[in-house]
Amino acid sequence: MRYIRAALARIGGVFTKDRADDDLREEMQAHLEMETAEFIRRGMAPDEARRQALLASGGLAAAAEAVRDQRGLPWAEGVAADVKYALRTLRHSPAFSTVVVITLALGIGANTAIFSVVNGVLLKPLPHRDGDRLIYLRQSMDGPGGGNISFSVPEVREFRKGAPSLGWIAEYSPWFGTLQGANEAIRIDVGLVTGNFFEVMGLSPVLGRLTRPSDDGDGVPAVMVLTHDFWTRHYGGDSGIVGKQVRLDGTSVTVIGVVEPAPWFPDRMEALANMVISPHHLSALMVEGREHRMTEMIARLAPAATLEQARSEVAAVYARMQRDHRDTYDAAAHYRVAVMTFKEALGEQARLTLWLLMGAAAFVLIISAANVANLTLMRGVRREHELVVRAALGAGAGRLRRLLLAENLVLTLLGALFGLGIAISGVRLLTSLAERYSPRASEIRLDIVVLGFTFALSVILALLLSFVGSLPKEGSFTAAIAAGARRVSGSLRKHRLQRGLVVAQVAVSVILLAGAGLLTRTMIRLSQVSTGLKTEEVLTIDVPLLQVGGGPSVGTDPAAWFRALLQSDARIKVRYDQMRREIAALPGVIEVGLGSSVPLRGSTARFELKAEGKALAVGEAPPRPDLRTANPEYFSAAGIPLVKGRAFAATDGQTSGKVAIINQTLADRFFPGEDAVGKRIAWTGELLKFSPISPEWRTIVGVVSNTQDGGQDAPPRPVVFMPFAQELAMGGVLVVRADSNVANLATGATRIVRRIAPSAPIQGVLTVAQIKDQSVAPRRLNAALVSSFSILAVIIAAVGIAGVLAFSVSARTNEIGIRMSLGADSGRVQRMILGEGGVLLIGGLALGVAGAFLVAGLMRGLLFGVGPHDPTTFIGVAVMMAAIGIVACWIPALRAARIDPAITMRV
Amino acid sequence: MAEKRDVKQGTLALMILRTLDVLGTLHGYGIARRIEETSKNRLSLNYGTLYPALLKLEQEGFIKAEWRQSENNRRAKFYALTAAGRKQLARETREWHETADLIAAFLAPRKEVP
Repeated sequence: MRYIRAALARIGGVFTKDRADDDLREEMQAHLEMETAEFIRRGMAPDEARRQALLASGGLAAAAEAVRDQRGLPWAEGVAADVKYALRTLRHSPAFSTVVVITLALGIGANTAIFSVVNGVLLKPLPHRDGDRLIYLRQSMDGPGGGNISFSVPEVREFRKGAPSLGWIAEYSPWFGTLQGANEAIRIDVGLVTGNFFEVMGLSPVLGRLTRPSDDGDGVPAVMVLTHDFWTRHYGGDSGIVGKQVRLDGTSVTVIGVVEPAPWFPDRMEALANMVISPHHLSALMVEGREHRMTEMIARLAPAATLEQARSEVAAVYARMQRDHRDTYDAAAHYRVAVMTFKEALGEQARLTLWLLMGAAAFVLIISAANVANLTLMRGVRREHELVVRAALGAGAGRLRRLLLAENLVLTLLGALFGLGIAISGVRLLTSLAERYSPRASEIRLDIVVLGFTFALSVILALLLSFVGSLPKEGSFTAAIAAGARRVSGSLRKHRLQRGLVVAQVAVSVILLAGAGLLTRTMIRLSQVSTGLKTEEVLTIDVPLLQVGGGPSVGTDPAAWFRALLQSDARIKVRYDQMRREIAALPGVIEVGLGSSVPLRGSTARFELKAEGKALAVGEAPPRPDLRTANPEYFSAAGIPLVKGRAFAATDGQTSGKVAIINQTLADRFFPGEDAVGKRIAWTGELLKFSPISPEWRTIVGVVSNTQDGGQDAPPRPVVFMPFAQELAMGGVLVVRADSNVANLATGATRIVRRIAPSAPIQGVLTVAQIKDQSVAPRRLNAALVSSFSILAVIIAAVGIAGVLAFSVSARTNEIGIRMSLGADSGRVQRMILGEGGVLLIGGLALGVAGAFLVAGLMRGLLFGVGPHDPTTFIGVAVMMAAIGIVACWIPALRAARIDPAITMRV
Repeated sequence: MAEKRDVKQGTLALMILRTLDVLGTLHGYGIARRIEETSKNRLSLNYGTLYPALLKLEQEGFIKAEWRQSENNRRAKFYALTAAGRKQLARETREWHETADLIAAFLAPRKEVP
């Protein structure tokens, strides 16, 4: 109580200083007079009495100072005075301050922006209740598409039984359906979930309720929970939607609630529904088929269980599973299950890229800080005189250090302030980058954690900067003052430090440049990869009309279901044909093709394929090509070159013999060195039973060249095309080729599609150039970011070299003058300074190349078509840095050469 | 002239409180005189020691100050004990006695150990 009271009184004392000073003066004056009166009463002469009284007081000014220290908060007032003084000093050297603040702002801004992404995507706790106990399991195998093959229901069942550490396991499977609106339909991504899904996930509703175990199984009403994002985007956040019925893939579904914002994985989801919506998910095949893997698994650790326990239990269960079902888990394909935290799974794709960017930003900050340190050092030398004077007036080393710290704090905090400005504008760009890598991009924010990071960074920088400009030792001041010195110099040490900083700057710049070079070359390589298409002037309109749904329900007649499907398919094909003809009539259109899939995009339909007379080797997995359909004009409209045989013809109709066209990759796989045309292939495998695709033999009539369907950096996949007319219209994509500027056709073509199929979901209207661009865009952004970081670094480093040399020249003006008057010509002086810079440059280059060699190895996963130790890049980077460095050395060298000995000697 | 001792840290507060307890309301000069007299002029109390100590006691709420006319009609700041100050005086006095006893026991002439 007493201390609180005293503290409050002292804080109050800060603000009542003036009045209290008057009071104190009067009080002490009274004291003095009373004492004087007393001395007079004892018989002293008035003057003597006053003198004695003053002597007894011990000095009024010192006493007032002592009282003032007791009164307020001397420490805080000292800091305020320091800051005030620092601001004044910095105002007096505006050039220095501006350069430092800008340099720091760039460094701090870059780091703040990148850190906000790292924090939002990788570090921040998940919004889920006890999110760190959520576990994601992933089954994978060797071979294309084997990265995540998800689980089958029987597999999940065994984990549930055999791994008690996974206290609760929820299942969900990504699915999509057409949501019928009043005017138009849209295709939405839906997660089909078990009733316990939200309970396991630890998510709460913002409206209505979420699914629960009573929503499981057959014969229950279909219910759907909207994700927060979809609810706000599509329904405008209308709370009236809860309780309403909507039509999803022709089924009536009740919207029961809206779930709080959360990241969805592995794909984005717009709604989560119970399994009853898709009869397929309740079918025997789904429930009993061990190889029918469509289910993702999310688990919550049992209380007191650890991730390690879960890992070993899962491994044990999985090993037993593989022993019991040897035919299902082909040993050659290395089936495996990874157990990781959900948070780790969410950040997996973004991790490498983000740490790369964070590293690049950190390097920029190191270079900026080194530059500022150098500037501070130089300024420190010029200020030595001032510091000596201050020391002479009684400032101790501690006091001077505090003053320097105040100055540096003002600089770094100003830098941080401008840096935040840079970060705010950068975060939006970075969020769009992060969206490609992480489902958590929407969580990126300049929040309190990020601000704290920025603040901590500024304070640490200020502390470091205050200690590089080492002050002379306490004792040495006295000597310097006594000698009347204008300078105290620890010059050699400082010189070494400055040079070390320049070497570090060059080295770090080289590392950044190398990274930027590798990423840029990766990007160039990527865009050089041929898409496989002959032209980019192609517009694609993805408009699926057929609603296949999940297949026949349990207990219904599959044949009846299939007949109904065929009827609607026939109607739909008429409409596609009408669209095709009308778009073909638009001016400028050369050709319109029709097929199931967008060129340069992967397709989800894949089945096992066999070739007539070709037996698989033992242990060899059958190929699972992409299944696509195309009409006769599709290949020429999309610009897919025909390598052999013929394209489809109008005669390849419903009633004629089944034919197929395969791509080069598949031809090489099945018929190496043979002519594939005329051979026969057929779809096969357990999954086929459940699709409307027939297993009959199909004759290959043509081979087309490969296209980059999995993105520019992916190896081409095997593909089988079947005539659009011979199969169900499982997808519908119009491919429009025009003579020029095909993008201009988009509006007109979309209008035609809208008119003919008013309720159809138009998935995307994109030109081939745009599709190609989308697959390169993330890499381009990577390369652009790292490149701009490295350019920034190089500029700062160049300024650093030039600055240090210029300083060295100005410090050595006298020496150079003497040298010149003793006969050194200007060329020689120039060489001397160049040599001085050259040594630093060579040191930095050597260190940098070595460092880049190490760092580049970590980047391997981000590169394409170029090795991490690509000699061309490394040589190019070294030459570029050397060239810039030499230019930076030349400027001060020229200045040194122009020194007039006559003038310098006179000084 | 004999060297006068400076007041030991911590004891001055106790002396001030005791002085005000005995003499009632008093100004700074009076307090200083009284302490010096009580110490038989062995202590010297300059302003730089006295006034910060007074301010500290005031901040802690043990004494309160007000401006009044002094005996020779001059405006002076008079200090008086508060209730809290009285309690503090009792506490500090007790503690001081205890400490003094303790130290006395330590410094007592050694008895021969048989």
